[in-house]
Amino acid sequence: MTGSRRLPLLLLPAGIFVLAVYVWPTLLLLRNAFNEVGPTGAMVEAWSLKTATETFADGFTIELTLNSLQLSLSATAIALALSYPLSLFLFRTDSRFRGLLAVIAILPMLISGVVRVFGWLAILGDRGLVNTLLQSLGLISAPIKLVFNWTGVTIGLAESIMPYMILALLAGFGQLDRTLEEASRSLGASPLRTFWRVTLPLSLPAIVLAAGLGFVLSMSAYITPKLLGGGRVFVLATEIFEQATTNTNWPVAAVLAIYTLGLLLLLLVVSNLLARGLKR
Amino acid sequence: MSYLELAGLQKRYGGSVAVDDVSLSVEKGESVALLGPSGCGKTTTLRMLAGLIQPDRGTIRVDDVEITRLAAHKRNMGYVFQSYALFPHLTVSRNVAFGLEERGIGKAEIARQVEEGLALVRLDGLGGRRPRELSGGQQQRVALARALVIHPSVLLLDESLSNLDAKLRDTMRHEIRSIQRSLGITTLFVTHDQVEALTMCDRIAVMNRGRIAQIGTAEDIYERPATRFVAEFVGRANALPATRDTEGKVVLWGAAHPVAAPPQGAFDLFVRPQRMRIVSASEPTGGETVRVTGRVLRSVFVGDHVEVLVEGAGGQLAVEMPSGTTAPTEGAEVAVIWQAKDSLPFACEAA
Repeated sequence: MTGSRRLPLLLLPAGIFVLAVYVWPTLLLLRNAFNEVGPTGAMVEAWSLKTATETFADGFTIELTLNSLQLSLSATAIALALSYPLSLFLFRTDSRFRGLLAVIAILPMLISGVVRVFGWLAILGDRGLVNTLLQSLGLISAPIKLVFNWTGVTIGLAESIMPYMILALLAGFGQLDRTLEEASRSLGASPLRTFWRVTLPLSLPAIVLAAGLGFVLSMSAYITPKLLGGGRVFVLATEIFEQATTNTNWPVAAVLAIYTLGLLLLLLVVSNLLARGLKR
Repeated sequence: MSYLELAGLQKRYGGSVAVDDVSLSVEKGESVALLGPSGCGKTTTLRMLAGLIQPDRGTIRVDDVEITRLAAHKRNMGYVFQSYALFPHLTVSRNVAFGLEERGIGKAEIARQVEEGLALVRLDGLGGRRPRELSGGQQQRVALARALVIHPSVLLLDESLSNLDAKLRDTMRHEIRSIQRSLGITTLFVTHDQVEALTMCDRIAVMNRGRIAQIGTAEDIYERPATRFVAEFVGRANALPATRDTEGKVVLWGAAHPVAAPPQGAFDLFVRPQRMRIVSASEPTGGETVRVTGRVLRSVFVGDHVEVLVEGAGGQLAVEMPSGTTAPTEGAEVAVIWQAKDSLPFACEAA
């Protein structure tokens, strides 16, 4: 009993850390969101909703939100389509290379985002791997635009969130017992039917969890849309950075940041509820 | 030709042989146990039957049709898994209906058969529950119903009772046996529990190291074990180191006995503890009786019998006396006697 009563002590170090580097700055951000910008562009201390109302009245904010949602949705869908079969294989295989394969699958996590983006530029650029190959095969005459547009950002985002989604899927597959699939087959279900009736329903909680994580990571990604978008793709994260640095408009940056945070929290709650509902 | 024929089945994993040349014939409606210690290949054999693994060699025939390479879902085998393998995302009814749905049977007919199946295992009214809301015994019944409603050509039970507590296991044993009998369903039952094998099956195949050591009725296996392994594995037995005299008689604890010794090699005499009797050291015996003398080390009351440990010139032996009889006091000099025909000599295994 004393053990469980002392358990919260274990949370103390992390709690203090989070308080200092996350909660406190977020509160400062919240304070800034109520400030105004004077005619000179300088920040004016205030307690008003003027900045917020102006920001949300601006059509560009809606456009940014839709861009972010659409990009995140397509990146998550692509990443899920690629990581689900891969994770299922990793979860199932008896290969002695399983550990190695898993490490390879999540290796991109260990590489700096900037370096990864430059890798994609080398592959997808006008004189990159893909275009050179397609041109030498005579399939295309002029290079296809694969970077500095939506396509590039979507590909880059999908790749960057895959390792996290693979880890989430592997962790979520707990309920998947191979015996259940054997039972299904012994009862007359073909492998395809077994996947449809047993494997897929039992891995739905893992899918929802992974998709939620991938989506949130895509929404908050900055480097990939900034560099692979080449200044032509505008999302919430890039706009917050623009406002805070180039325009030094802290109140607007703060309003957008709090708004994005709210969106992400909402998404996390929804995906968690969904995953829990499915596990029931 | 029998209903179910396994011929020369073999399965290797890397360098080790899991199942080595298993042949078995089972008649329609018969119940056969595959009995053996863990790792003897009994489950592997069952899984090959179900098509969950492919044999490297050998054939499987059911009702004169070869199914050795047939996909698992086309075999129509009712498999009851050790862990029950109930689908956690489906209700009890949907679990039982699963195989029927895969067979494209009409909804009303499925509902009727599910009802019937649940009634058969006495789970009427629990169809709406989720598997995890049921007790272990109830889950076991659902698994059984699910395997039975598809009218399988063979029912395969894989250690199906080992996760239940002792009392429930006893009940389920009799229940499964009576269902199996009343439906006349051909059954193969994998177990490491000899009581299960002895009580639930018409015949028992004792397996050891991937091979069948002996096939026979419970009585055959128990009374006339074919090998030392079978004698040791099924039932309890005293393995008494013995030698032979010049006439070829068994010499045990320093005296010759009216039992023929094997012609050569070191051997032990196997005697079931409940076939032995303890008499006073002075009581004479004659005829075809083996008699050794010793001192009682201790008597242990085990409930349905009293176990008496006797030490003599050649070592120790255990005697099981029916409880209710008066056990000899510790330290008493006694004679242990048994019928000569109850002694089975088996060669010592080469170390």
